[in-house]
Amino acid sequence: MDAGRGTVRSRGRRWTDADGIHIDVRGLTPPEPFVAIVELIESIDDATPVIVHHDRDPVMLYGELAERGWIAEGIDTVPGEIRLKLERAR
Amino acid sequence: MKLAAGAFLAGAGSRLLPPSIPFRFFGAAVTFHVLAWIALLAGADDVPQFAGGLGWPLAALHLVTLGVLAMTAIGASLQLLPVATRLAVGNRRWPAAIWWLYTPGVALTACGMGTGMVTVLAAGAIAVTAALVAFALLLARNLLGAKGMPIVVAHGWGALGSLAVVIATALSLAGTYVGAPIIDRASALALHVTFAAYGFMGMLALGLAYILVPMFALSAAPDEHPAWASLAIAVLALFLAGAAAIGLAPRLLDTLAVGAGLAAVGLHLRLMAVALATGMRRNLGPSFALVRIAWALLVASLLLALAVVHDVPHDGIAPLFGLVLIGGWLLTLLLGILQRIVPFLASMHAGQVRTRGKGLPPTPSALTAVRPLAIHFISHLAALALVTLAIAAGSPLIVRLGAAAGIVGALAFGAFFATAMRRMRRSQAVARAGAMPLA
Repeated sequence: MDAGRGTVRSRGRRWTDADGIHIDVRGLTPPEPFVAIVELIESIDDATPVIVHHDRDPVMLYGELAERGWIAEGIDTVPGEIRLKLERAR
Repeated sequence: MKLAAGAFLAGAGSRLLPPSIPFRFFGAAVTFHVLAWIALLAGADDVPQFAGGLGWPLAALHLVTLGVLAMTAIGASLQLLPVATRLAVGNRRWPAAIWWLYTPGVALTACGMGTGMVTVLAAGAIAVTAALVAFALLLARNLLGAKGMPIVVAHGWGALGSLAVVIATALSLAGTYVGAPIIDRASALALHVTFAAYGFMGMLALGLAYILVPMFALSAAPDEHPAWASLAIAVLALFLAGAAAIGLAPRLLDTLAVGAGLAAVGLHLRLMAVALATGMRRNLGPSFALVRIAWALLVASLLLALAVVHDVPHDGIAPLFGLVLIGGWLLTLLLGILQRIVPFLASMHAGQVRTRGKGLPPTPSALTAVRPLAIHFISHLAALALVTLAIAAGSPLIVRLGAAAGIVGALAFGAFFATAMRRMRRSQAVARAGAMPLA
């Protein structure tokens, strides 16, 4: 799946890099980050990872990910940003 | 290194409290839920004409309000607000200290109310007050530093302001029993009921719904303008009811307050209906059936408040108003939401234990015991219906039947909670041992 570099969707900015599809949900009003991330992973039907750029710990997202067979991994981050890599569980 | 969902953020972000803190509040709430129905059973003879005063109906009422509603609100706020507002709870000993003060305080308060032992009631009231003041300070600190979510934060301030009124009037009412009231009992009681139910719990319920309902329905965030209008009108309603309670044109202002309350609720429910109708997830299960029933009973409570204001000639109007307001709206709403939140939080906490494989943390559905929730659903609604019938008919026998159904439902809800905790701990133990956690 190719979300397109720099594409602005209705909920969050999406782009694709070598490491997967990125979605930046910083600045969105809760629960829009939650919904945007779920929408994105619902649209992916292969093993493409998703990189989430968030400004808060998405506490309630983890259960939803688990229900859908996805796991989250914390990756390198910068101050003021929380970055997660989401992958289908193997 | 691959971590299960939640591990990274809990470790690095440090905004999330350990599971023992929120779950001890939820566990206490589940226990007080059972005790509330037992207290109602003990006070069945006095329920149909209950209009306040010491006794087991008053104890049952406060086991629900303090023991279940406020207990859960404190636990959920301590868990979720620091994450939402991006501000950590300062010293983590505070939440635990609040629990150790609040929980025995609620038990003593209920015991004092039920038995009529005023010194026990006073000791409990002091402990509860101290704990609520400490919670209010934590909440205020968090709201002051909040970033984003202004509509939820504004509802939080409304809840906090209402909590101040509730504490002051509770002290005055407790003072009545030891001969030292601050303001006259009728005014204190009217302020206490209004600001506890519609103010403190109501503002939290309305504010958090703007996040939780769209999140569960997977819909867009509600339109902010109607949400702000709803909040403004709700605050106006509280001020009108407050003015009426201290004797300013009580019938007129109370009527206007109910009208404003209905308008605020109408706007709020319209936003909720849009979220549910436009969400990606349409089937929200029995938990949201409870939420929908609770919303209907919120409207019913306001109509019954109007009947109380205009002295509708029936002995049972006041207790019926209390039942629909506390048991029908707030308790039903909370139990519906709690049965969705507990498995999500348990799943997240279970996933914090590092796994050596690539397995999933336990899913919320794997942590949910469905049969106890089905029993609770039927029993809870049967209990409400039976106690309503009992009040209308003036029958203590039917109150006992309703209380018995409530006990069954509360025990079933306790079984659901205990199962979620047991499965979470088992999953954590398996993950710590290096095996794949149960998905």
